[in-house]
Amino acid sequence: MSFKIDVKNLSLFYGDKQALFKVSLGLPKLQTTALIGPSGCGKSSFLRCLNRMNDSVPNIHIDGKVLLDGKDIYAPSVDVVELRSHVGMVFQKPNPFPRSIYENVAYGPRIHKLFKNKSALDDIVETSLTRAGLWEEIKDRLQQPATRLSGGQQQRLCIARAIAVSPEVILMDEPCSALDPIATAKIEELIDELREKFTIVIVTHNLQQAARVSQKTAFFHSGHIVEAGETGELFTMPKDERTQGYITGRYG
Amino acid sequence: MKKTLRKRHRREKYFKSLGLASLCLALLFLGTIFGNILITGIPAFFRTEILAKAAPSDFLNPHAKYALDEEKKWMTASDEVDMYYKNDETGNLTPEQVKTIQSLEAHDQIRLTFNGAFLTHSDSREPEVAGIWGGLLGSLLTLIVTFLTAFPLGIGAAIYLEEFAPKNRLVHLIEANVNNLAAVPSILFGLLGLVAFIHFMGFPRPSALVGGLTLGLMSLPVVIVTTRASLAAVPYALKEAAMGLGAMPLQVLFHHVIPAALPGIVTGIILSLARALGETAPLLMIGMVAFIATPPSSILDPTTVLPVQIFNWSRSPEMGFVENTSGAILVLLFVLVLLNSIAITIRKKFELQNVL
Repeated sequence: MSFKIDVKNLSLFYGDKQALFKVSLGLPKLQTTALIGPSGCGKSSFLRCLNRMNDSVPNIHIDGKVLLDGKDIYAPSVDVVELRSHVGMVFQKPNPFPRSIYENVAYGPRIHKLFKNKSALDDIVETSLTRAGLWEEIKDRLQQPATRLSGGQQQRLCIARAIAVSPEVILMDEPCSALDPIATAKIEELIDELREKFTIVIVTHNLQQAARVSQKTAFFHSGHIVEAGETGELFTMPKDERTQGYITGRYG
Repeated sequence: MKKTLRKRHRREKYFKSLGLASLCLALLFLGTIFGNILITGIPAFFRTEILAKAAPSDFLNPHAKYALDEEKKWMTASDEVDMYYKNDETGNLTPEQVKTIQSLEAHDQIRLTFNGAFLTHSDSREPEVAGIWGGLLGSLLTLIVTFLTAFPLGIGAAIYLEEFAPKNRLVHLIEANVNNLAAVPSILFGLLGLVAFIHFMGFPRPSALVGGLTLGLMSLPVVIVTTRASLAAVPYALKEAAMGLGAMPLQVLFHHVIPAALPGIVTGIILSLARALGETAPLLMIGMVAFIATPPSSILDPTTVLPVQIFNWSRSPEMGFVENTSGAILVLLFVLVLLNSIAITIRKKFELQNVL
């Protein structure tokens, strides 16, 4: 099995407090991996290690290896800006830039100079919005402020914005927690489609969501991975007692 | 339950009326001050003139006396005549002189006209010809220097402290001191300006350059504090979004953080400029208190500023300077209101761009 990202013995410290304890996990290529677990178990911290979003947190210390296509992203030679163009991120709350819809999607390609002329940029914007399932809804109002879209549309815009720099991996940190059920269903559908092109890692509190969208699931508990495996197996025949307790809602 | 509910409602009403009462009291004070300035200040915009051929020469402004031969029909009256004609204040006038004025009045040989000279002339020893142009121009030049000092230094320091500075003891010490400096009495900055710019650097004494630099130093802490507050108010989610796309720290700053913080930054700068415009004490310290009758032509020329001119006029014995003082205060207030409304307009405009 080829892993797009292979995490080996990752430990994370916020000052004196250890948040992750020698965690190892392989993320299969072109599949969706769900990270589940109770609040404060370290799943978001883990996710943010995958594109080094934790770098700017003061007093942080990271041990272990995160291999992207076999190369350690924490090696000194790695440029974090380049890394993030390969590993994109979608956040918990939709956070579009206070600019037009077009400018939101065009921002990534602009800073990385990914296009030759204006029409090439137009193409990138259109493809990204189409892939994010938003094009039909907003193609007539690209110049309108992005903040006027609904929450679900904003989140899909954020996904389009992440896609626009053609990353290989997309990290999603509870992307539906601020959305209503209909918008959530649309995003889940979208995640399923995006799997053709991207490797996806999603943190979620919604167990049904994890079961619906992912092929692999990892259950985190107080900084350890208790159990990781194929989603169907983990949800129907959990090996660990704690996993069983969590997915049946007995604790968490 | 019902009983306590009634009590709670009563307390609510009581508190509201208390607030309303204090607001009314504040408005009353404001109205009194403003009304007083308005009533004494408006006459400064009018001057008394006497028909030249009928005018006794001791009724005219000393400069107008020498111009008597010219073809000028109406001439500016002296301060004492002016005061009597406007306010019925006899002052040093003899009963005969008062009678003469009354007869001039009867023959329509004395009149009140709009005093354009109040805005276009510079300071003078004679209140009837003194104007505020020198002070206004001086204030403008000083303010430009203040802006050029406080804007780049203040914004630069604020951005560094907020976004880039390591969080160690030294930086904390600097931050605490910047906050304290914002509350330091302005006259101390005058002292600093005196030592640094005049004694040490040897800049020309009562010039707009020294005044502007001094006021710039005074505004610096306020600019830093307000800029930092607006930078800190930018949601972290916005920075995260840009970082997640692979923007460099500088790109995050210039593409997202500063545009989002701009309304607050601009408001802070304009408000501190407004404060600098009304500042008097530090300028007295660096010798800008001198009587200067010619408007400055550069920032190196001897200059006075509007508030200092008001201060000087308020100490003059001539009756006419009383209304001149109030008139100049009116102009100063007008400029301040203008600056503040510019600040509000700019903030509204940028806010709209950001939110929509």
